[in-house]
Amino acid sequence: MTHQTHAYHMVNPSPWPLTGALSAFLLTSGLIMWFHFYYTLLLIAGLLASTMTMFQWWRDVVREGTYQGHHTAPVQKGLRYGMVLFIISEVFFFAGFFWAFYHSSLAPTPQTGGQWPPTGILPLDPMEVPLLNTAVLLASGVTITWAHHSLMEADRKESTQALLMTIALGTYFTYLQLSEYSETSFTISDGIYGSTFFMSTGFHGLHVIIGTTFLTTCYFRQQLYHFTSNHHFGFEAAAWYWHFVDVVWLFLYISIYWWGS
Amino acid sequence: MAAAVASRLSRLLGQSRPQLGRPLSSAAHRGESSARMWKILTFFVALPGVGVSMLNVYLKLQKEHERPEFVAYPHLRIRTKPFPWGDGNHTRFHNSHVNPLPTGYEDE
Repeated sequence: MTHQTHAYHMVNPSPWPLTGALSAFLLTSGLIMWFHFYYTLLLIAGLLASTMTMFQWWRDVVREGTYQGHHTAPVQKGLRYGMVLFIISEVFFFAGFFWAFYHSSLAPTPQTGGQWPPTGILPLDPMEVPLLNTAVLLASGVTITWAHHSLMEADRKESTQALLMTIALGTYFTYLQLSEYSETSFTISDGIYGSTFFMSTGFHGLHVIIGTTFLTTCYFRQQLYHFTSNHHFGFEAAAWYWHFVDVVWLFLYISIYWWGS
Repeated sequence: MAAAVASRLSRLLGQSRPQLGRPLSSAAHRGESSARMWKILTFFVALPGVGVSMLNVYLKLQKEHERPEFVAYPHLRIRTKPFPWGDGNHTRFHNSHVNPLPTGYEDE
């Protein structure tokens, strides 16, 4: 027997799980060395190693699926389970920061003035840039849905156009948030308000950047004709992730920007 | 919203069909394709919404904000340990016009 008689994918041995684990160790120890000893070499090595691992691992997945045909229906189902479980884990990650925010804001301590926002904190007006940010992300949810339907209807030109608009909106959001960060009168060192605000919105912003990168990867793959009208799971995974990022923002907006002001 | 997510979840895990894929047969009832509907939503709802929000921000920014007086509250501008960059006393996105140091505004 020289060929498999099942539909599953027995992945070839790969070094990337090991390099991934090593890079995780370098990143964590690197952060400690940077924070406590102002030494950045480990951190830089960790960033380099993790970036290389991600690039090469996912490149291999694309090769296995798109070029070698290993992504049969049951394999794709497994990939779907995987992406869903990952997003669920990210939901729990953000849940922790929301917990911290609500814990601190529902029962403000006397040390911060017994009020929320704490004494001396001037919160951002939720009806200014935060509202624009909300409109931008909601619009990007519409454009990516347009892109998906166009892809399913094999409309290459419109699918590419809509995907580019989604990427542009994501980039615009990041630009707006960065400029907000430079303009706020409060900082991360302003007590529990600053900590909860910047940890929550900061990690969210990082996820927007990750999502935008994922979408950009999809753009390049689309240009290389990787997607067909009924087999494009990489695109769907990017779309799911993007919707997740949008939903997290909505919770952030309502909790921290609106209720928390 | 949770119910919609749950039903979407069970649908997409059960088959390899794209998550938001509506069968073209039901879309045909509209006489249009689903993609066309989302395209219309994009250009007539989503992007105008962004445009209006942009205008709103622009108009609100015309009003100049006065900077609040500095009060050395002990619960703000916390410096338990220096930041691992620069002089260790400025946050990453420090803006000297609106962010005072623990000792006060830098340009006063």
